[in-house]
Amino acid sequence: MITSGIVETDAAEEFIEEIEKSQDVLPKKIDANPKTVEKGLAKLVLTLIELIRKLLEKQAMRRVEAGSLSDEQIENVGETLMKLENKMEELKEIFGLKDEELNLNLGPLGDLM
Amino acid sequence: MNNVMVKSKDVTLLEILDRVLDKGVVISGDMVISVADVDLIYLGLKVLLSSVETIEKLRGSPFVGPMQEAR
Amino acid sequence: MKLYLYGIIDSSNQIKETIYGLEGAGVYNIPFCDIGAVVSEIGQPIQEATEGAVLEHQAVVEKLMADFTVLPVRFQTVIDGRDNLLSMMQSYYKDLKDNLERLHNKFEFGIKVIWPAGKVKENIVKAIKSNEQKMSESDASASKRFMKKKFDKYRMDKEFEAKADKFIKVMDIFFSKFTAEKRIEKLKTENLLLDAVYLVEKDKVSNFREAFEHIKSARPDFKYLFSGPWPAYNFVVLSKKSGLLREPEQADLFDKVTQSQTLVGAKII
Repeated sequence: MITSGIVETDAAEEFIEEIEKSQDVLPKKIDANPKTVEKGLAKLVLTLIELIRKLLEKQAMRRVEAGSLSDEQIENVGETLMKLENKMEELKEIFGLKDEELNLNLGPLGDLM
Repeated sequence: MNNVMVKSKDVTLLEILDRVLDKGVVISGDMVISVADVDLIYLGLKVLLSSVETIEKLRGSPFVGPMQEAR
Repeated sequence: MKLYLYGIIDSSNQIKETIYGLEGAGVYNIPFCDIGAVVSEIGQPIQEATEGAVLEHQAVVEKLMADFTVLPVRFQTVIDGRDNLLSMMQSYYKDLKDNLERLHNKFEFGIKVIWPAGKVKENIVKAIKSNEQKMSESDASASKRFMKKKFDKYRMDKEFEAKADKFIKVMDIFFSKFTAEKRIEKLKTENLLLDAVYLVEKDKVSNFREAFEHIKSARPDFKYLFSGPWPAYNFVVLSKKSGLLREPEQADLFDKVTQSQTLVGAKII
């Protein structure tokens, strides 16, 4: 049936795998069901916290790279980031949320993180 | 691609689906009876915008407990 | 009368070829000024996208592509009556006309590239290790070890992305003379180095294909997928969009979000 729209590849299976991996596997709806509403909100709040946490981590890495952090500062920042990461792991467990779930699809803008 | 009934392992079909279901001209308005995909994706953005308002409303609810602890 | 819409063409004439679309209905052109909407009559709007319906839709669009410039319309767009269709054509007219002119005699081609992400990362680790002295891990505190781990990952990710950029830049150099427009997505997954679509003029297609063969021979260890020609699915730009925000708010929010995306190293379009 298809005449001119051709697809040529030497690795069909691999491309299928990668294409499927890249597709949105997150549930697009946020449940309005009262039982799950707290999970939906926790997801939202934790997503925002994750965003900020990742921003902070990235900033720290840039400064380590630039050599603008003293030994003591590296120690302190490391401790704080570590605590933050551990806390987030705890919260994710409490609410039964996985890493991939803490993201927001913003339509044409792509995913938030 | 959520509502495709037949899951195909055919890469040609995947390429077609990607274009036909997701790209091209999107006509919207009252005159349109149906579209292939409801824009649920925008729900994410809308929820983000109203999140503060919602959390304010829920102050005092039992399940907000762990959140407070986190602070 | 429910009208199933396949595409907008740059002609107000009737379609010469006999084409059948969904539900076996005849496909015809409803003209508006110097353009037209290609439709077929449909009884029951489909709720789900079945493989058969999608292929039928695509087959119609492909046939149109042979004789006209087509702006392909998203699957399952059903308009309620001729009058509504014509008023829709009127409100979108300038947009549709602009797109038809811009996309005239141009086809879309898709190229996807897979690279061995694991191997690339291995090589990066080797290169980094050979450059630095071993830090005495036992002395370092938990915080310092945490920071080192994060920093190693940060460097790895950065170098990984730099390598991806390098290859994509080379592709650009090969293609730039023959492509009018492009949309590329870098590292959609670790292994999917590139997911790109290119808009190529009819008489530059063979040059474009040749350039692609050159790229393939430069990196034979990568895997490639080439598709097309397609009508310009990815290059139709409509200024009227359905959205929740008004235009200035939308632009402002767009900026804010893309800024934060850059900061976390997420993909931006």
